[in-house]
Amino acid sequence: MRSAERQTDYRLGPLWVGGTLAGVGALLLGWALTVLGAWGPASVGLALSAFGFGPLLQALQGLGLLPLVRAMGETTAASPGALLWAGAGLWLLGWGVVAAGIRHRPREEAPSPAQGAPLHGRLQAERDFSWATLLTYGGGILAAELTVVLLQTALSAGVRLTEAAERSGPFSLPPAGAFLVALLAGMGVAFLAGALGAARARRLAAPEATLGILYLGLPLPIFFTLLHAIPSLSITFGPRLREVTYVAGLLGRPELGYWLVFTGLVLTLVLGITVGFVLAGSGRVDARMGYELFVARRHLEVFRPRFLLKLLGVLLLGILPPIVLFAVVRAAQAAVERTRIRMLGLQDPLKAAEALHRLKAKEQSPTQTMTTLSVGGVGVGVMALIIVMSVMSGFEGDLQDKILGINAHAVVYSYEGEIEPYEGVLGDIRKVPGVAAATPFIMNEVMVASEGNVSGAIIKGVDPATVTTVTSLDRDIVPRDAIQHLAHPEEILHRGDALGGAVAGPEAAGEGHGLPESLQDDPIIELPRGEAPGAAAPLPGILLGSELAHSLKVVVGDRVSVVSPLAGGLGPQGPIPRSAAFRVAGVFHTGMYEYDSKFVYILLQEAQRFFNVKGALGVELKVDDVDDARRISRRVLTALEGYPYRVKDWGEMNQNLFAALRLEKLVMAIILSIISIVAAGLIVATVTMLVLEKRKEISVLKALGVPDGGILKIFLAEGLQIGVAGGALGLGAGLAWCWFIAKVGIKLDPEVYYIPSLPVRIEWGQTALAVVIAVLVSFFASIYPALKASRVEPVEGLKAE
Amino acid sequence: MAFVELRNVFKSYFLHGKRIDVLRDVSLDVEEGELVSLVGASGAGKSTFLHVVGTLDAPAAGHMTFRGRSVFDMNDAELAEFRNRTIGFVFQSHFLLPEFTALENVAMPALVRREDRAQAFRDARALLERMGLAHRADHRPGELSGGESQRVALARALVLRPALLLADEPTGNLDPATGEGIHQLLREVNRELGVTAIVVTHNESLARSMPRRLRLEAGHVFPA
Ligand SMILES: Nc1ncnc2c1ncn2[C@@H]1O[C@H](COP(=O)(O)OP(=O)(O)OP(=O)(O)O)[C@@H](O)[C@H]1O
Ligand SMILES: [Mg+2]
Repeated sequence: MRSAERQTDYRLGPLWVGGTLAGVGALLLGWALTVLGAWGPASVGLALSAFGFGPLLQALQGLGLLPLVRAMGETTAASPGALLWAGAGLWLLGWGVVAAGIRHRPREEAPSPAQGAPLHGRLQAERDFSWATLLTYGGGILAAELTVVLLQTALSAGVRLTEAAERSGPFSLPPAGAFLVALLAGMGVAFLAGALGAARARRLAAPEATLGILYLGLPLPIFFTLLHAIPSLSITFGPRLREVTYVAGLLGRPELGYWLVFTGLVLTLVLGITVGFVLAGSGRVDARMGYELFVARRHLEVFRPRFLLKLLGVLLLGILPPIVLFAVVRAAQAAVERTRIRMLGLQDPLKAAEALHRLKAKEQSPTQTMTTLSVGGVGVGVMALIIVMSVMSGFEGDLQDKILGINAHAVVYSYEGEIEPYEGVLGDIRKVPGVAAATPFIMNEVMVASEGNVSGAIIKGVDPATVTTVTSLDRDIVPRDAIQHLAHPEEILHRGDALGGAVAGPEAAGEGHGLPESLQDDPIIELPRGEAPGAAAPLPGILLGSELAHSLKVVVGDRVSVVSPLAGGLGPQGPIPRSAAFRVAGVFHTGMYEYDSKFVYILLQEAQRFFNVKGALGVELKVDDVDDARRISRRVLTALEGYPYRVKDWGEMNQNLFAALRLEKLVMAIILSIISIVAAGLIVATVTMLVLEKRKEISVLKALGVPDGGILKIFLAEGLQIGVAGGALGLGAGLAWCWFIAKVGIKLDPEVYYIPSLPVRIEWGQTALAVVIAVLVSFFASIYPALKASRVEPVEGLKAE
Repeated sequence: MAFVELRNVFKSYFLHGKRIDVLRDVSLDVEEGELVSLVGASGAGKSTFLHVVGTLDAPAAGHMTFRGRSVFDMNDAELAEFRNRTIGFVFQSHFLLPEFTALENVAMPALVRREDRAQAFRDARALLERMGLAHRADHRPGELSGGESQRVALARALVLRPALLLADEPTGNLDPATGEGIHQLLREVNRELGVTAIVVTHNESLARSMPRRLRLEAGHVFPA
């Protein structure tokens, strides 16, 4: 590498021959790959070879291609396989010959006066490359990857969809939980390996780390990526790695998952390496931060209240307007101040000089400006992350609330259709620990017709006594006790009373009152006032969703008929439709268009009669812990002794919806993380500028006895300060914005969204994660410049002047 | 065995492909408690020599022992500790840390040694008082005169009672009276605290007033 000490001779013969051989090999490989149509999977290996340098590593790359060659060869006829073999062989041979053609020899020169004198001790002790460190780092990353894969496979119980296969062991976790455990364990392994390697080697050993990660860390993620590209691989390994591919697939594309995890592990390894080096790199563990913090704080005075308050103001007021305002005010101020100083100078030059000095002192140095920018950048990133994640959580939570409000947490069905008698089953279910309530139901599809309109609907027969213990149907319903009216149809308000009752209710239900004149002549509501509504047999009650009521143009007290094309049984001419009349007992509003426009509720007994069913078609449950619904459902199933029953929890019923939401949130997080990357770039630039600016001081500090580790700690602390200050600012501003959105509210277009204003839900876990990530990013960003700083030779900075 | 022993020290610089041999086979013994002056033409390599002895610069070859301990074989941490505990360095220009006050600058070596903070500042203040600088303790280096800065630098070098003081032209850009004051101070320190010192100077008369005199010429060190 150092060309000054040695000369390189190139022997043209072997170079030509080797080059030609390798070229022919490459052509053969290319041809074979084209014949096989395998450029896709092979490109990964080829891309890898771009990392290789030097003939030896190229040769290793060639060897690495061979298993791939085999895998490809199996799938098709023998001839392209043979071509591949020949190509790879020629490629290897060619590089070997090229290597043989390059010779290094020492440069010839007159001997120096120091010839024969003992080598300076420190140079003698310097070690250049250590295989042990390479193995520690590389083995560490590999072990970490294996830890994640194995733990995920061992712990997760998620993919086995058939109940019989469910693991009953004590270590069965939901897939996401298992992944968390596995990832943490893997990160622990990577961190330890890095720390141990660096502590043992007493240096960072960047070459070893790079090679270790490339040659021992990359194969596994590449293998997993290939798993999806090469059918024979996925047939062989797919089933056994099901848990891993499943978790990775939660993000949409599993490849994304693999590489994200790999990146995370590599970062933890790097973190471990730096920590190990800082703590023990110089032979003893020294984590103390005494003078280091003292110096770092003095270099970067970011924790001044005025500075932080100003930045917070900028973040809170929408970033751009306050900056523009600030710039205008500053410029005006400067102009005024200079005029004032000149006037002052006409009277007393000394005073003017003093004022000028004070003005100069207020000016920011470039490093200060950079510091402000990077603290602000981190702050903006954290703030944006917190706001967006909270709003998305708000949407998700809102949706979940609505889905869970109108739907049960879990539903018990029977493969035999009817559950009859259901009372026993209900009793059994209610005894299962974790189940809060249960209610029977009958559900079917019908048509609902009013005087002027007809609409398809899903009708649900419910038990008024228990239905509200399971769903929150009663949360927004007009009139208040409409559900109880199902059981007592004689109490259903008639149109005249209903008007009075509903006016006080929410607008959605009230909209039904803007009826056209013609409808006011509805014969049904023209019943004389005061007449006892239930003198004859009163019509049974029905509850409609607000949207349905609107489109049917009915209000509480109106009559509707329910028609089922099949309920009448099979007659000589096919299915006989059946219809029955109901009186609208109430109008409910859930906020979900699908529910409000589709669902109608009647009494369970009415439904039994109407559909000719003796029992119930299912039982809906409410559980104590919504997030544990899956496990509780399994318990319910066990209590019911399995067949013919089956239990679906809410997550299963709405799987696609929530998976899409999660993916969307992840994508947002990744996009927003780009802000963090920009901030990280700013931090790298800032700390690098600091290092350049402080070269002299670094030298002086070293002369005063600060070891390399101390310098490293000083500049890491400076990066961390930026991260902590920015993270705190972002946290404050983000929470303030969330609070503002929650309290004051941002109106949404009611035509598009079914929520009146932007929902927020602050999840403390993810908020903390955003801050922690920002702090970590700043730490990682300052590693490189800090290392540069620690390597400054004492005498370099002293000579700089 | 001498207090400081240098054997066959070589140091060269490389500039535009040319080698400048600054130190050629320097060997020297300094006994404990000696006060040594070093003179030489400008560019002779006096600063280079002090940097090598102070372990701030690595020589190309050679051997140095301090109280019998081989210095050039130490690793980074040991070297840092050696600089902190054993060596006091006064640079040709003062090289105070600009963000810190005079007091903090003087206390810095003690802070680096992780001594008790309050004690470090007390020692630093006492030393500054002795140097007649108590009223400048809270000034930053930019707000000190050249002579004051050089005295603060001397105080910083002395605060941990080093065994070996290396002073590179501490009086270089001072008026003769102030320079004489600093030399006086050095002699006092040498006498009262028993600090061994090597002082580089251009001032022949000051150099002659030192008990032992050395001259650096053509890469070799001679008694003068
Ligand atoms: N980094 C360097 N690269 C090349 N040459 C250098 C370097 N540093 C010093 N020199 C040369 O080495 C020689 C010795 O330098 P040094 O600073 O030791 O001189 P000095 O005796 O201290 O001079 P002065 O009395 O002027 O301070 C000089 O000729 C200088 O030009
Ligand atoms: Mg000099």
